[in-house]
Amino acid sequence: MIVPFQHLLVLASILFFLGLMSVLVRRNLIMILIGVEIMLNAAGLVLVGGSALWHQLDGQVLVIFLMALTSAEVSISLAMVVYLNRRKQTVDVRAFDELRG
Amino acid sequence: MDSRLLFLLILLPLAGGVINACFGCRLPRPLVALLAIGAIVGSFGVALVCLPLAAEGTRVTLFTWLAGAGLKADIGLLFDPLAATMVLMVTGVASLIHVYAAGYMEHEDDQARFFALLNLFVCAMLCIILADNLLLLFLGWEGVGVCSYGLIGFWYAKSENALAGRKAFIVTRIGDLFFTVALLWLFSLLGTVNIAEINLRATELNPALLTPLVLLLLGGACGKSAQLPLMTWLPDAMAGPTPVSALIHAATMVTAGVYLLCRLFPLVSLSPVGMAVIASVGALTALYAASCAVAQREIKRVLAYSTMSQIGYMFLAVGVGSVAAAIDHLLVHAFFKALLFMGAGALIHLAGGENDIFKMGGLKRKNPLLFWLFLVGILCLAGAPLTGGFFSKDAILLAAFSHGNGFSACLWGIGVFTAGLTSFYSFRLLYLVFFGEYRGEKAGHKLSPLLVWTLPPLALFGLFGGLLNLPHFYGGHEMLSHWLGSAATAEVPPATEVGLLVLMGLFFVAGWVPAHLFYRNFKGEADTPWRRFLLQGWRFDALYELIILRPYRFTARFCFIAGDKGLIDGVVEGLGRTMLHWGGYFRQLATGQVSFYLQGFAWGLLLMLGWLLLQAAV
Repeated sequence: MIVPFQHLLVLASILFFLGLMSVLVRRNLIMILIGVEIMLNAAGLVLVGGSALWHQLDGQVLVIFLMALTSAEVSISLAMVVYLNRRKQTVDVRAFDELRG
Repeated sequence: MDSRLLFLLILLPLAGGVINACFGCRLPRPLVALLAIGAIVGSFGVALVCLPLAAEGTRVTLFTWLAGAGLKADIGLLFDPLAATMVLMVTGVASLIHVYAAGYMEHEDDQARFFALLNLFVCAMLCIILADNLLLLFLGWEGVGVCSYGLIGFWYAKSENALAGRKAFIVTRIGDLFFTVALLWLFSLLGTVNIAEINLRATELNPALLTPLVLLLLGGACGKSAQLPLMTWLPDAMAGPTPVSALIHAATMVTAGVYLLCRLFPLVSLSPVGMAVIASVGALTALYAASCAVAQREIKRVLAYSTMSQIGYMFLAVGVGSVAAAIDHLLVHAFFKALLFMGAGALIHLAGGENDIFKMGGLKRKNPLLFWLFLVGILCLAGAPLTGGFFSKDAILLAAFSHGNGFSACLWGIGVFTAGLTSFYSFRLLYLVFFGEYRGEKAGHKLSPLLVWTLPPLALFGLFGGLLNLPHFYGGHEMLSHWLGSAATAEVPPATEVGLLVLMGLFFVAGWVPAHLFYRNFKGEADTPWRRFLLQGWRFDALYELIILRPYRFTARFCFIAGDKGLIDGVVEGLGRTMLHWGGYFRQLATGQVSFYLQGFAWGLLLMLGWLLLQAAV
């Protein structure tokens, strides 16, 4: 392995944290979805790294699955974003608080 | 003759009552009354037909009512001389009262309810009289209580009438409690509730237990018979219609206590202490009630106190061991008291609904026949020589006198003094109502003939009731004593007997003369505190208010405020309020903002990771 595993983990953590921050802090639904994608990719990066470190293919297989799953998820999410946008003419997440107690 | 015919005695009034209760409102008016009268008169007829069965004492069982765990209670009747005498009296007097009631209640609403209750009342009383076990007797005992409640409070729209009904029900219920305990105790001791068996095996009982048992029975009898200290309900029971008063005072209800003690006399007589207490309760009640009657102003209240007083005499008779004298007085009293009450009802009509004897007067001219009939009742009550009331009262006092010890001599003295008082208040009533000028303002109503013509038979029986149990001294045969199979009245030397008779006569006159002097030309009475004290029945109501009702109410209020409001409501509502309060805090967490929830996820994740790290470090 040309890149030390620790570096890879640090990069993945930073990516995950950035994604998380994006999810928590942004108000725009699309930005939140992007944050989720980034977090998923961080996880994928760790999987690939682990696979390379231990010479096991499972991790890479899992990442293939993850990509398929992600594309499906994104298509559904974006469809929902379109739907939500149609309902309230906004993609601001603060407008959707019907679960309020 | 089929002895099961006896069940008709109870079933006829029951059927009459039930039919009137269920369909009475749809029947035409005269039919309701006719049905009720028919049921009671039919019952009286059956009693007459069945009389031969009583001589031997017939027992008949219809079916077993309750069985199991050693308890066996039948729907069974015991028709012996004692029961037969009572049944004849009750059905006979009740028949006349029913006929009278048909006239008295002519213009009232709710006849169906009235006559249904009246019939059921008689039915319950017959159940007491005829029951061959204590449980069935108890059924009738409670039935009488319920019916009296319904009848005393018949005009329930006025709240004092409803209150009087409630008072009668609750006070007699206190007595019933004693009776219930005695009943259960007897069952646990002897394993049976059969009256004949209990009487037979009474000697097996531990003498130490007998006295409390007898006292419990006495407590029950006191409640129903309005004896000290459970007598406060009777004067208030005047709130009911007059036929009801007549029925309560003459034929049913108040005689039930005396009858119970007579029925269980073999058991009761085994406890000398119990007997002494019964006799003293009787004598003291007789004196107490007579003293109250002296100051009463309402005609029916005078009679109510006189009933209480006469029942006291009956208790005295039982207490000194003379069942025959008690039953004799019970019979004669039933006749003349029914006469007096029904007469009083007619008088109230004559005076235009006026109850107060101070506002009556001069009614002799309005209806002379009624005067003579009422006079007979008064003479019997006062114990005028040679009337029925004289002989029966004399027999009781003789029985007390012949015991010969100081205690019973004392009771005898009370009895004789009370006889003088009785004579006084009886004539006071007579003079105030019939003599002098009419003092009322209201115009009288016309009397229905039913109100007057039901009285003569009662007057005859009252007047000649003494013949039933005429002592040997007068050439009689003490028929009633023989018929009841009880011990003959004690023999005393003729000289003593003559002395006692003269004494009784003297006390009768001693009561009459002052009444004549004070009330022949009545000008009004000063309202002294002493009189007010007697008018309010020695203020027993106030006393009970003070020592029972007020602490009870205080406890109830305490329980309500501290227990119910404070503790229970506090815990329940407090729990709910705490939940609501905290729920308000938690509610703020549910903002509906997705990022807020996700933040929660993140913090949770952080926590879990931290925990795992901590685990790894250790």
